Amino acid sequence: MHDEIVKIKGGRKGLQLSFAEGASFDDIWKHIEQKLESGSGFFLRGTLVLVPRERFLKEEFVKLQKLFHEHGLICRTMGEEPEEEPAAPAAKKQKAASPAARKKDPHVQEMVVVNRTLRGGQEIRTESSVLVCGNVNPGAQIIAGGSIDIRGTCRGLVHAGASGDTDSFIIADHLMPTQIRIANLIARSPDHMEMTERAERASIKDGQIVIEPIER
Amino acid sequence: MSKVYVITSGKGGVGKTTTTANLGVGLAMRGKKVVLVDTDTGLRNLDLLLGLENRIMYDLIDVAEGRVPCKKALVRHKKYESLFLLPTSQVKDKTSVNPEQLVKLCEDLRKEFDFILIDCPAGIEQGFKTAIAAADTAIVVTMPEISAVRDADKIIGELSRADKEDIKLIVNRIRPQMVESGDMLDMNDINDILSIDCIGQVPDDEMVVTSTNKGEPCITMEHSLAGQAYRNIVGRICGEDIPFMEFPKEGFFQRLKRRVFGA
Repeated sequence: MHDEIVKIKGGRKGLQLSFAEGASFDDIWKHIEQKLESGSGFFLRGTLVLVPRERFLKEEFVKLQKLFHEHGLICRTMGEEPEEEPAAPAAKKQKAASPAARKKDPHVQEMVVVNRTLRGGQEIRTESSVLVCGNVNPGAQIIAGGSIDIRGTCRGLVHAGASGDTDSFIIADHLMPTQIRIANLIARSPDHMEMTERAERASIKDGQIVIEPIER
Repeated sequence: MSKVYVITSGKGGVGKTTTTANLGVGLAMRGKKVVLVDTDTGLRNLDLLLGLENRIMYDLIDVAEGRVPCKKALVRHKKYESLFLLPTSQVKDKTSVNPEQLVKLCEDLRKEFDFILIDCPAGIEQGFKTAIAAADTAIVVTMPEISAVRDADKIIGELSRADKEDIKLIVNRIRPQMVESGDMLDMNDINDILSIDCIGQVPDDEMVVTSTNKGEPCITMEHSLAGQAYRNIVGRICGEDIPFMEFPKEGFFQRLKRRVFGA
């Protein structure tokens, strides 16, 4: 029974947590804290953690979110997930319409936020877009299904649209990566790299990766 | 409150052991009680730099496995009464000590000493993980060289993965002339990539080599530039606010000599 208080299931979007009926918030809190402390391979930094929406009171959820945030994880309710929605009749109708609607509406896209510098040997691998508030150092890798935005200097390897999305792009304050990959195209840096003064954006135009300065 | 420092770098040969020996002697010169722990099992050097090789009776492995109490293995420095060395074994390898044993050892040493400096082996394998386990603060030593900086970056990443957030930087073996002529990375380049708090810039100094051979760290030498840089670092560790030293510029005659003789 001991292990059943918190159940963790790996999903496409991230980790889905479900909780035993009748377990108190304190018990759940303790369990999650223990699991995070133990540093098990589940809880990689930047992972999205989904919690059933109806399970907690507002302030409890905020406390949980803070705990996860301290360990570099992002915590959301499962409300936005149509496949996880409790099967209320009204929700069912929405479900049928939603996949198409979601694709068009950019506001519901997921994003992984990294609030630190990515150092050599570190890797972010995700299906969603990535926002890095910090630098991406040489030897670091970001492989994202969506676009990549770096608020700092990018010197590592960045791959946007890794699952084939040719509309994705890469922005950085100083864009000087060892390699840029967008969808199935690859560009490498010139052999003599210069420090760029302005923010730049790399995207695909006419079947080629082009880099152009942008205002930010 | 005693503090545990680990001196690490990733890359070999950048001056971890030299730095450990100098900081240890420097802190002892200020009257602090200091113990230096060598964790580079199988490739021990720290005893040589301090000139204490012939006094070693027991080592880290004996202590970790509980064969002798740690007091018995400590070697007192011949000149500085408050400086001790806990040497490691030259015949065993790095798997002989595990992180838990080192954490326990440091807990014991904390009761006796103000500063515990751990000399870390090169690399990021078991030896590194053991060495950093007990540390409050990590001092990363690097050189103004692209591969050393790259490895330092990796090490900083590994340290933060092990939840060591207090990380300081020492840049060793700077050659001011090469930096000035643009042939060597300067501090801005290094700070750009590593972006951690720098507590020391040590110039490349021939006296380091002579002092190593003599078994007396260069921090004791009045006229050594590197020694002065290490004294400044010790001051900063003790909480003083010391500006970074200006390296002497190449004089006109030296420049002329270099032009003419091409040295």
